[in-house]
Amino acid sequence: MAEPILSVNDLAVEFDTYGGTVQAVRGVSFDVQPGETLAIVGESGCGKSVTVQSIMGLTPMPPGRITSGNALLNGVDILGRKTINGEDIRGDKIGMIFQDPMTSLNPTMNIGSQIAETLIVHRGYSKKQAFARAVELLDMSKIPEAEKRAKQYPFEFSGGMLQRAMIAMAIACEPEILIADEPTTALDVTIQAQILDLLNDLQRENGMSIILITHDLGVVARMAQEVLVMYAGQVVERGSVDDIFYRPGHPYNLGLHAAMPTNDPEAESRLTPIDGSPPDLFHPPAGCGYCARCPYSMQVCIDTPPPTYTLSEGHEAACWLHHESNTQVVPEIHHAGEAVND
Amino acid sequence: MAELKLDANAFAPIHQEQEIQSISRPSLSYWQDAWIRLKANRRALISLYLIIGLLIFTFLGPVVWQVDPAQQDVDQISQPPFADRTVTLVTEYEPWYGEGAVAGEGLRFVEDPTTQYIRLVWDELPGAAGGYRVYRNLFPIGPERAYGLPLIETEPGKRFFEDRLDLQPTTYYYSIVALDAAGYETESVETISGDVTRVITPSEARGRGLLAEGENAAVGTQFRLATHPLGTDYLGRDMLARLMHGARVSLFIGFFAPLLFVLIGVIYGSIAGFVGGVGDQVLMRFADFVVALPFLLFMILFKVVFAIGPGESGIMPMLLAMVILLWPATARLVRGQILQIREEGYISASRLLGAKTNYLVLRHMIPNTMGVILVTITFAVPSAIFTEAFLSFIGMGVAPPTPSWGSMCNEGIKTMLTTPHELIFPALFISVTVLAFNLLGDGLRDALDARMRGRE
Amino acid sequence: MGRYAVKRLIQGVITVWFIATATFFAMHAVPGDPLSGDKALTEKIRANLEAKYGLDQPLMTQYAIYLGNIAQGDFGISFTQENREVNDIIREHFPVSATLGILAIVFAGLGGVLWGALTAIYRNRLPDTIIMFLVILGISVPSFVIAALGQLSLVNINEWTGVSILPVGGWGTVWHMIVPSMVLGLGTMAYLTRLMRSSMLEIINSDFVRTAKSKGVPPTQIFTRHQLRNAILPVITVLGPSIATITTGGFVVEIIFAIPGLGRYFVQAVQQLDYTVIMGTTVFYGAFLVFMVILVDLIYGLIDPRVRLE
Repeated sequence: MAEPILSVNDLAVEFDTYGGTVQAVRGVSFDVQPGETLAIVGESGCGKSVTVQSIMGLTPMPPGRITSGNALLNGVDILGRKTINGEDIRGDKIGMIFQDPMTSLNPTMNIGSQIAETLIVHRGYSKKQAFARAVELLDMSKIPEAEKRAKQYPFEFSGGMLQRAMIAMAIACEPEILIADEPTTALDVTIQAQILDLLNDLQRENGMSIILITHDLGVVARMAQEVLVMYAGQVVERGSVDDIFYRPGHPYNLGLHAAMPTNDPEAESRLTPIDGSPPDLFHPPAGCGYCARCPYSMQVCIDTPPPTYTLSEGHEAACWLHHESNTQVVPEIHHAGEAVND
Repeated sequence: MAELKLDANAFAPIHQEQEIQSISRPSLSYWQDAWIRLKANRRALISLYLIIGLLIFTFLGPVVWQVDPAQQDVDQISQPPFADRTVTLVTEYEPWYGEGAVAGEGLRFVEDPTTQYIRLVWDELPGAAGGYRVYRNLFPIGPERAYGLPLIETEPGKRFFEDRLDLQPTTYYYSIVALDAAGYETESVETISGDVTRVITPSEARGRGLLAEGENAAVGTQFRLATHPLGTDYLGRDMLARLMHGARVSLFIGFFAPLLFVLIGVIYGSIAGFVGGVGDQVLMRFADFVVALPFLLFMILFKVVFAIGPGESGIMPMLLAMVILLWPATARLVRGQILQIREEGYISASRLLGAKTNYLVLRHMIPNTMGVILVTITFAVPSAIFTEAFLSFIGMGVAPPTPSWGSMCNEGIKTMLTTPHELIFPALFISVTVLAFNLLGDGLRDALDARMRGRE
Repeated sequence: MGRYAVKRLIQGVITVWFIATATFFAMHAVPGDPLSGDKALTEKIRANLEAKYGLDQPLMTQYAIYLGNIAQGDFGISFTQENREVNDIIREHFPVSATLGILAIVFAGLGGVLWGALTAIYRNRLPDTIIMFLVILGISVPSFVIAALGQLSLVNINEWTGVSILPVGGWGTVWHMIVPSMVLGLGTMAYLTRLMRSSMLEIINSDFVRTAKSKGVPPTQIFTRHQLRNAILPVITVLGPSIATITTGGFVVEIIFAIPGLGRYFVQAVQQLDYTVIMGTTVFYGAFLVFMVILVDLIYGLIDPRVRLE
C-alpha cells in the first residue's frame, strides 16, 4: 500500500465540563491514503467529530485537551500547529465542511467574499482576483448564476446551495485532504445525493483525499474505500468497505447492519435496534465499551479492554471473540483465516 | 502485545440481566436541577443571604433599635459613627461685650472654643479703615482664599467678636479681613484655627435628662450623649433608624411594584397570546404605545397628577405610576413565550392525548413560563429600587420627612464634603441591595435557562 | 428598505400623538385650576391665556386646540416666566442636554463594545473578572452616587494638583463636558458591556466562526470580520432605548454639575407647576426619543443584510 498522506496515532482527547471530565476520544489511530476516501462511522457522541476537529485544531482548548497521540501529515506532526514548513494547514493543506450549512456561514458577509477570504489569506490574491476566482469555484460547485449568487448573503440560499458554497470554500486552495463532517445530515435526501456526487466529481478532478464523517451507512457505501467504525471514543473495527459490509468482525458493526434497512425482498422486514445506550464517557467502562449492549459479552469483556486482532490485510477488529480461547460461536462474525464468502 | 493472563472463566457469556453498568448521573426535575445549579453559584447564594439579611434588618431592626427616626438630637448634628459623645458641663451663658484683656498678639481666642460660644479678639490690622469682616470656615484657607462663611462686619474700633452661630464640635478656621474705607476687602488678613469642645449648660442637661431636676453637678463634669451607631444626619436624626425605616420604603416599592406590574403583564400577555389574531394585534399595539412613553418624565408627571397632600408619604402614587408604566415589557415577554410554547410539539402531543385547555395551561404553559417570569421579577426589583431612589433624589419621590434611601442620599449629598457618612450609608445600602438582586437574577437565569443545561 | 422607513415614520407619528394625548389628559387630571394659586396673574394675562387655550371651553375643544398647536410646533407660553415661549426654552436648553447625551452614548457605546469583546475573549481569566466586577458595580451604584463621586474626585484632584484641571460644574467648554458625560454614560456602558459579552460569547462558539478558523483566517481578522460585526448587532438594537435612558437620566447629572440642560429645567417646571413647560417638554422629549429609536432601527438595517433586503 502507498505511503499514507495522513497518519493519526493513539489520539486521546478530554473535555472538562460542568459534570466532570469527558474522555471523548480514547486512543484512536488511522491512516488516510492519497486520493482515497476514508469514512468514519459511529453513532452520535462516539467521538468522530472531536477526532477530526482535534486534527484541525478546532477543539476549544480549554475546556478541551489532547492528552496523547500525534497526527502526521506527510510525516510531520500537525497536532497543535498552524503551519508546516511555512505553509498553513487549515484551509490550505486541509479543507473542511460542516454538518449544518445554515449556521456555518457568516450571516453578515456575502458568499463570494467568504470564499474569497481563503484565497486572500493563503494565496495572497487581491480582493478582486479572489472574488473572480470565488465565482469560478461556485460555478465548479454547480451553483447556477454564480456571478449573481456570489453577491448574495447566506440567508438568501437554500441548505443545499449553502453546502455547495461551503464545498467551494473548502476546496478553494486545492487542499490535499478534505474533511467532511456529516456533510449531508442536515439536507434533504435528493440534495444529499447531489452533494455526494459533487464531492466524488471534485475528488476525481483534484485527486484529494476525503475524510468523511457520517452515521449513514448508505453514504459510506457510496463514497468510501476505507471505513473506520468508532464506538465510545475508540475504534472498534477498521477495514475496506467490503470488509465492513460483508465481513463484519465486531458485534457493534453487526448491530449496525441489523438496524439498517435493505432492499433485499427476502430479508426479514423488521429492523433490529441496538438495545441500551452508549456508556457514560465521564466514567468510561474498564473493559470493552460495547460490553453492556453486546449480546455476546463475556466475563472478560467487563474489565479488560480487548486487543486489536488483524482479521485479514487491512481489516482489524477489537473484540474478545477473536481470542483463541474463545469457545462461543457467532456465525455472523467474520474471523481471521475464514474464507471470503460474499 | 503482551499476553494477558486470562482464567478459564473469562470467556463465559454474561447473562444480560446482570447489571454491568449503571448511569452515574441521577435524573432530576427542572426545579431540583435549578436549585442545585443556584446552590453551586456562590455569588448568587451570597446574594440570597444578603437579601435575607436585609429583610431581617428592615423588619426586625426597628424592634431591636427602637429610636424614632424623626427625633432630632440637637447636640449631635451631622456626627459620623463612633464620634466622641462626651459633653462637658459649663455655666449658664452670660453676655460678653469684649471686656477682659487677653494675653497674646494678633487674632486670638478669649477662652478655649466651646459649642456654647467662641470669643475672638484681635489687634489692629494695617489698612483697616473701614473695619473688619469675620469669616468662619470648616477647611484650612487655601491659596484661592476661600474664607468660608462671612459672620459679621465690625467698626474699625471694635476688635472683638462672639460667634454663637450653630456651633459644632469640630475644627473651625476663623479669618479677619481688613476692609478699606470704601468697604472693600484688602490683602490684610489674619487666620486662626481652633478645636471646639462640646459643652452643655445645667439647664440644657436637665432638658436632655442628663441631670435630674434639682440635682446639681460641678462645672467640668462629663456626660455621655445618646448613642448613634451610624451617626446622625444634618438635623441630628439617627442614621441607623432612618436607614431601617427607609429600607421599608425602598423594599416595599422594590417588591410590590414588580410583583404588581409583572402580574398585570402576565395576565395581559397571556390574554393577547391566547386570543391571537386581531385582538392580539390591538392589545400589543397599545402596549407598544405605553412602552414609548418616556419613563422618568411620566413618573414625574404622575407625581404631579396624584398631587400629594400634606402628611402623605407619596409612596402609593409612586407605586401606582410604576405599575401603570412598566407592565408592557412583561406582557410582551409572556405573550412571546405563550405563542412559542403553543407551537411546541409537546403541547400538540398533550392535546392529542385529550388534554383540555385548563390542563394545558396549568400543566404546561405556566410551569414553562415560570422560570422566565421569576427571572423578570428578580431583575425588576433592583430597577424599581433604583427608580425610587432616583426620583426621591431629585425630590420627586417620597415626601419628607418620610425617610427613603434616595431622599437620604439627596440630603447627604449637600454635606458630602464635610460629613460624607450621610451620603455613604444610604448609597451603600442602595448599591448592595441592587447588587444582590442583580447577582441573584443572574444566578436564577443561568439556573433556569434550559439552554444552559448540559453546558459547563 | 424605503417602504420600511416610511412605515416606521408613520408609526412614529402615531406614537407621538399617543404621548401628546397621554400628557394632555394626565395634566388635566391634576387637581386644581392651573391659573389659580399663589402665582398671581393679572386679569389680562389670565384672560389671554384662557382665550388661547380655550380653558373656558369643554375638554375636547381644549384637546383639539392643543393638538392643533402641537402640529404647528407651538408648545405655548410659559406660565411662570412672562413672555417666554416654551419653544424658546427648548431651543435654549435642549442643545445642552443633547450634547451631553450624545457624548454619553458615544462613550457608553464604544466602551461597552470594547470591554464586552475583551471580557468575552479573556473569559474567566483575570481581565474578565476585573472588568465584570467593575461592570457589576457600575450597574449597582445609582447614577447620582456616581455623579457625586465624580464631582468629589474632581474637587480632590483639583485641590491636590493646585490647579483646576477640569471644572467642577457649569457648562460652556469641552472641559465642562468630559466628566458629566462619562458619569452619565457609565451605567449604560456597564449594561452594554454585559450585553456585548454574552453576545460575543455566543458568536465565539458559533459554527461560522469555526468555519472561519477551519479556513485558516488569522485570529485578528476572525475577530474584526466575523466576530465583532455579528456580536455588535444586539448592542445596536438596544442603543435606541439606551438613548432614552441616558437623556432622561441626564436630570441628575445636570442638577449635580449645575448644567443648564432641559432636564434640570423640567424638574424646576414641575416644582413650579408650569403647565405648558411640563407638557411641552414631555411631548418634545417623547417625540425625540421615538425618532431616535426609529433612526437606530434604520441604521441597524444598513448593517444587517437580513433586515436590509427584506
